[in-house]
Amino acid sequence: MPGRVPRVTKTEAIVLGHRRLGDADRIVTLLTPHRGKVDVVAKGLLRSRSKMAGHLEPLTRVEVVLAHGRSMDIVTQAQAVESFPALRRDLDRLSTAMYLLELVDRLTVEHADARPVYELLHAALLRTERGDGVQLVTRTFELSLLDVSGFRPEWTVCVACGAPVDADDAGWSALAGGVLCPNCRGRHPEASPLAPRVLRVLRAYQSQSYEDAARIRLDAELMGRLERVMHDLVRSVAERDLKSAAFVSAARRASVSESAAESAAEAAPVAVSEE
Amino acid sequence: MNSYSDPPSGTASPITRLVEAFHRLPGIGPKSAQRLAYHVLRAPETEAKDLAEALMEVKRSIVLCERCQDLTSESPCRICLDLSRDRTSICVVEEPLDVRAIERTRGHHGLYHVLHGVISPTDGIGPEDLKIQELLARLRDIDTEVSEVIVATNPNLEGEATSMYLGRLLRPLGIRVTRLARGLPAGADLEYADDVTLGRALEFRQEVQ
Ligand SMILES: [Zn+2]
Repeated sequence: MPGRVPRVTKTEAIVLGHRRLGDADRIVTLLTPHRGKVDVVAKGLLRSRSKMAGHLEPLTRVEVVLAHGRSMDIVTQAQAVESFPALRRDLDRLSTAMYLLELVDRLTVEHADARPVYELLHAALLRTERGDGVQLVTRTFELSLLDVSGFRPEWTVCVACGAPVDADDAGWSALAGGVLCPNCRGRHPEASPLAPRVLRVLRAYQSQSYEDAARIRLDAELMGRLERVMHDLVRSVAERDLKSAAFVSAARRASVSESAAESAAEAAPVAVSEE
Repeated sequence: MNSYSDPPSGTASPITRLVEAFHRLPGIGPKSAQRLAYHVLRAPETEAKDLAEALMEVKRSIVLCERCQDLTSESPCRICLDLSRDRTSICVVEEPLDVRAIERTRGHHGLYHVLHGVISPTDGIGPEDLKIQELLARLRDIDTEVSEVIVATNPNLEGEATSMYLGRLLRPLGIRVTRLARGLPAGADLEYADDVTLGRALEFRQEVQ
């Protein structure tokens, strides 16, 4: 069709997810720096000859060329830039990455500038890829993402009256989005106490750089408590349970039972010499 | 996502009801749903009757196999009852269609287990939504002879997550857990793989990490 050049855009993107469309096509959800979250159509992606399939897998940073379509843009070219291989080989890292993607998917709006979110997600994926603690990466990511999305939790002053809150006597409410002073707690029946050491870590994570946050040593119990606080907060902002958060826990539980079985086998070496 | 608001079924016009019924099917958009509905409307009555009866028949007669969870007209299914099959290995697949794909390769002589999906948090599917408890029950059965589970989920992110999760869950039971080899292109779907490639992926399977 001479004279009728279809509008095309070239952009980098992180693939957040996909769903089936008809027999062989897919709708791919991309996070782009300038247009935020966009759903695009990838044709023939499910056919084994498709050259684009591997490049448009979730958890890939990709360069795409999009042709302007009637309701959705269509991917005409896709070239993976980063596919995070180490992240795909370990279940704890992979489930964590799936959680990061779902979190972004739930908290990001379509067609809005998303440069800060894009950079946060990219950095978190790189840190997980290189083997940083998944809990550290996840908690710092959640706090930063809530911040840039306009849901910054308040850990220093009371969300109801603005008075400074003493870490040794703090309550908190996911619904209210932060800590409550002893006076205001009574008016928030949903509030619960927040352990001083949990609150100190949350304050540090929110105010310090990632490198400084990484220096804070946490035991498993404290990590568990932080996780519960952040999951409550995220659930309240996203207004739903995140399935991937449950999967992160399920993967961890399976790992605990696996190592328990291993140590039991080591204790009784006769039992494993069957093969 | 679905822009139709569902009116109570008694009040919608018959044609609207049919369009909506088609639209609920996987992969059918609003346009295709309309096209299908108008096709049925124009078609001879016998064709519509055939379709309606086939739909009812399949719901009436097809059940899940109590052992492998595959679709079958009789439970346990033909494969589960076949005494010539190797009872030491179970091939785990996402969907019933994948059982047919693996059978075509003639490379697997053991039993099957159908998960009916794959771990995919963004679609709201976690391990608890799959037939994993049913698989564990089979493997924990004192009469089990199973020593190897071959995970034949699709070579994509969700398939990898599912296979690694099953690896963690099943290894403590003393079972060898393997995964189809990497011959299949990344992001592909078993359903569309050719028999030779799929057969080779099965033959050169590897231990799950
Ligand atoms: Zn069966």
